[in-house]
Amino acid sequence: MNKTIIININGIVFHIEEDAYEVLKNYMTDVKRHFMNSDDSLEITTDIENRIAEMFNELLANEHKQVIVEQDVRSVIEQMGTVEDFEHAEEDTNASFANTYHNSGATRRLFRDPDEHLIAGVCSGIANYFDIDAVWIRLAFAVIVLAGGTGIILYIILWIVIPKAVTRADRMVMKGEKLNLQGFKKNFEEEMGSMRDNFSNFKHEAKPFVYKTRDFIGDFFYHLGTFFNGAGKILLKLIGLFILLCCFGALVFFIVAFVALLGFGQFAPFHDMPYGLLKHHHPEYIYTAGFIVIAVPLVSIILLTLKGIFNAGSISRSAGTTILVIWLFAVAVFVYDVTRIAADFRASASYSETINLKAGKNNTYYLKLNDLKYFTAEDSARLNIKDLAPNMKITDDEDNDFDHFHQRVRLSIEKSDVDQPVLVESYHARGKNYDDALTNSRNIKYIFTQQDSLIKFDERFYPKNDELWHDEDVYLTLKLPINAKIIIDRELSRVADINVYDCNELNKRDGNKLPEATFVMTDNGLQCKVDTMVTDTVLNKHLSGDSTQKLKK
Amino acid sequence: MIVENTQTQMRKGVLEYCILSTIAKGEIYASDIIAELKKAQLLVVEGTLYPLLTRLKNNGLLSYNWVESTSGPPRKYYVLSEEGRKVLEQLDKTWQELAYAVQISIGDRKVK
Repeated sequence: MNKTIIININGIVFHIEEDAYEVLKNYMTDVKRHFMNSDDSLEITTDIENRIAEMFNELLANEHKQVIVEQDVRSVIEQMGTVEDFEHAEEDTNASFANTYHNSGATRRLFRDPDEHLIAGVCSGIANYFDIDAVWIRLAFAVIVLAGGTGIILYIILWIVIPKAVTRADRMVMKGEKLNLQGFKKNFEEEMGSMRDNFSNFKHEAKPFVYKTRDFIGDFFYHLGTFFNGAGKILLKLIGLFILLCCFGALVFFIVAFVALLGFGQFAPFHDMPYGLLKHHHPEYIYTAGFIVIAVPLVSIILLTLKGIFNAGSISRSAGTTILVIWLFAVAVFVYDVTRIAADFRASASYSETINLKAGKNNTYYLKLNDLKYFTAEDSARLNIKDLAPNMKITDDEDNDFDHFHQRVRLSIEKSDVDQPVLVESYHARGKNYDDALTNSRNIKYIFTQQDSLIKFDERFYPKNDELWHDEDVYLTLKLPINAKIIIDRELSRVADINVYDCNELNKRDGNKLPEATFVMTDNGLQCKVDTMVTDTVLNKHLSGDSTQKLKK
Repeated sequence: MIVENTQTQMRKGVLEYCILSTIAKGEIYASDIIAELKKAQLLVVEGTLYPLLTRLKNNGLLSYNWVESTSGPPRKYYVLSEEGRKVLEQLDKTWQELAYAVQISIGDRKVK
């Protein structure tokens, strides 16, 4: 039993066995190549093809069969004559053609050898050029690669620059063989290149860099493929397994996150991103769309990996199309919602308010973080605080606020130009337009308290509308007069860039034990007050001599 | 090698003359030309004929007509053109001269 191929010779259809077809194809390639340089090559080869078709027809009719076998092709070729026969008969007409090849055949040319390649055939090509064993060139390359890795770059450059020996002619020139029809015939069996291959041979000289690079990239992936096919098969499987595990992990994570958001989103104990963004925007749509946007590619990667590397599982075309449509829809919904949310952040507005503070006794100020929990009027009514806990202090703690990190204020302490201490509160917020942004920034509520020289700062601000996030920010600037003595609580460093611990360490005190440190306001801003009893002179440089003297009791 | 070369040259010159002569007998199909030439042991393989025919046609010595065939693609039937006829007459003359020259050259020498 043999496979047959249906061929068409100038409009006539033949059934031909595969082996026979190969012989015929080789023969016709040879013939075409032979007549290539003649102006009438097309006419001549068509004549020959027609005659072959006719002979096939006669053979089929005479022997009452339907399929052309190799023997038939051979007998036809015998009758038609091989390329050598042609050459004998027309030595003169083809003399010029042969001569051009004879000339070039005398010298070798540098090609990449596609037959004996380890990577891209650069080494064996060079070896062919110098007619030495490729092992030595490879060894030399290995040495250069090991000595700094430049060999890799050199190899890639050579890979791009040196053309690949595509055609038989290339290979023969590469090996310095004489180029004539006998030579062609000699190694014809090695190659089934078509007419076009040979033409491209002539273009090699003028081939632009782009094509070379394209060749290089094509080659690269081809060789990468062969590499993976061979020794890298196991590696490929491992990579595939890794991809599968990653995708599965990510998929499970997103499924859990999705279900959690959808099921418990409104009870979420956090006011964090992205929930703070989405509260009013039908978040379930965005969650669903976002989930699909992420999950579909993950599933696709899993399926493709399964199919491509482990050759298992596949998806039907219609199912794939449906999923693609769903995915695109989800992308559209997601992009639409994200754009809509982003539109709420188009404009920004800010305003600031300056509040006069009472001057502290002896120019001394105690700065602390407010540890009382703030309740809005609604909250305190809801919790019935006044009735239930009239004398209780409800304290705020750190953990209570972990989800409000984006509502945390920033405090800086600067020197005041006048004796009057002031607090500058600067509010920022964003909105869909300036009015909206300004309204949002005006809706921010911030609380601090002053009792004589004690000033307590709240750690966070409270947007009037607690639900939605508008990129609010509150910057506080406490301006204190020069030479003010400022005793700062350790907790305050959560909102201000003040290192109480270091200041205590500077005074050779245990920074972990002491809850506060003393600072002074100088011309250069806030400075740690260093007790001269325990400090050396170097540290005194940080403070003006006068203030130290004055503050020392 | 020299022998082969001379033989080829001789054969080549005669071949074209013979082809023209064969066609001169009337409209003829390529494979029939081959059959005749094979009979005369001038040509061994068909493939060599097609380039020759094409060249002669391009030189204006031949023309051809397409004729439908029952056993394959349409066939080219070659005929001699007016110019071809003139050339053939000249070649006839040349051949006579050559034959005479060869006759004289061989002389009494026995040719097997």
